Amino acid sequence: MAEKEPQKKKKKAGGIVGFFRDFTYGMATHGMARHALKTRSSMEHLFILITMGDMLGIPILPPYYSLRLLPHVVPQITTWKRRMLREKDFVDSMY
Amino acid sequence: MSLAEIFDKYPDRRYIMYGGKGGLGKTTFSAATAYYLAKKGKIEIMPNLYACEVDADRRIEDYQQEIRQKIIDMYGMKKIPEEIESYIKASSAEPAMEESAIFDAVVDIVVKGDFDYYIYDLVPLGHALYYLSMASIYDAWLEKITTLREQMREYDQAIATMQREEETQEDEIYKELMYIKDRIGTSSKIMTDTKKTAFFFVVNPEEMTIVDTEKAASLFARYDVPLAGYVVNRVINRDLLNENIPAYLRNRIDMQAKALDMIDRKLGTSVLSMVPEFDSEIKGLDTIRKLAEVMFEEKLS
Repeated sequence: MAEKEPQKKKKKAGGIVGFFRDFTYGMATHGMARHALKTRSSMEHLFILITMGDMLGIPILPPYYSLRLLPHVVPQITTWKRRMLREKDFVDSMY
Repeated sequence: MSLAEIFDKYPDRRYIMYGGKGGLGKTTFSAATAYYLAKKGKIEIMPNLYACEVDADRRIEDYQQEIRQKIIDMYGMKKIPEEIESYIKASSAEPAMEESAIFDAVVDIVVKGDFDYYIYDLVPLGHALYYLSMASIYDAWLEKITTLREQMREYDQAIATMQREEETQEDEIYKELMYIKDRIGTSSKIMTDTKKTAFFFVVNPEEMTIVDTEKAASLFARYDVPLAGYVVNRVINRDLLNENIPAYLRNRIDMQAKALDMIDRKLGTSVLSMVPEFDSEIKGLDTIRKLAEVMFEEKLS
């Protein structure tokens, strides 16, 4: 889901008002938003770990229904795997 | 209480299950019960009685294909990426896959609600127990990921507000989770609903069977399966002792007598019916009727 963000940002209004609105946004909330996005993507990865963990050899108990979730996480699988296998401390990658 | 009285007294019990070790007579008892209930309800058997065997392997294959198709449709792919494909393939070998597929099929049939009674000729005990224990694990698992998903949603909303975007998209995964929750809830409810479910154990007069069944019964009780009683099958007619019979048969009858004592001691009044060993295989409507008459102690025509 987090990967879809760039396309959605196009909605901002133009003109002077728009400029000031963007300016305040940048000052006040941009950092917060970035942080939130980062946390959100960590959660996404945690979620895939709990549902699809057996892809990395971590046994996940109920396989029948977790297969239903697979189509929804297909685009994130590669980044998720890369990230999970890259972190030095495995626990770090979970949160 | 007799078997007939149970059905008479609790007409709401529409999910009837026979459990027990393999080869004790679950299938024949299921057939006889269906016959009896049809006769009692004055229902013509021929166009109204259906039997269905769930082909778990086939169902798993179809299901995997459905998932593949969904991925292809969702992302306009020509081919499933290799790592995804191998994951889907490997899933069929996962533990509990078969049991889950069977119970999922059962939910399909029951949810439609086309019939007055549903009689399950359960897979041998181990499988049913395995599924029940899976259901409780599923529950815990779902609880965890649903909470996580909700947290993720809160973040989505917060981010959307900060970036001044309109409504966040509907979370498809969350919907999927709710669906799974519902399915698992329904399937474990079918097995544990005290109002609608009657679970019967089939035992034979053999020491090992009794011991195993007792153990299984206590495990089923732990998962709140409403145990309605026991039906004893394959009791050799004691009158034969008055005839000139070979020692082999005499010994078998003695052995059964001991086991029947044990049944009496351990199961006592929860034994609902004693069915004798028949001299031919139970096959075809005629013998099923005969069996039903003995089981339910009632003349059926």
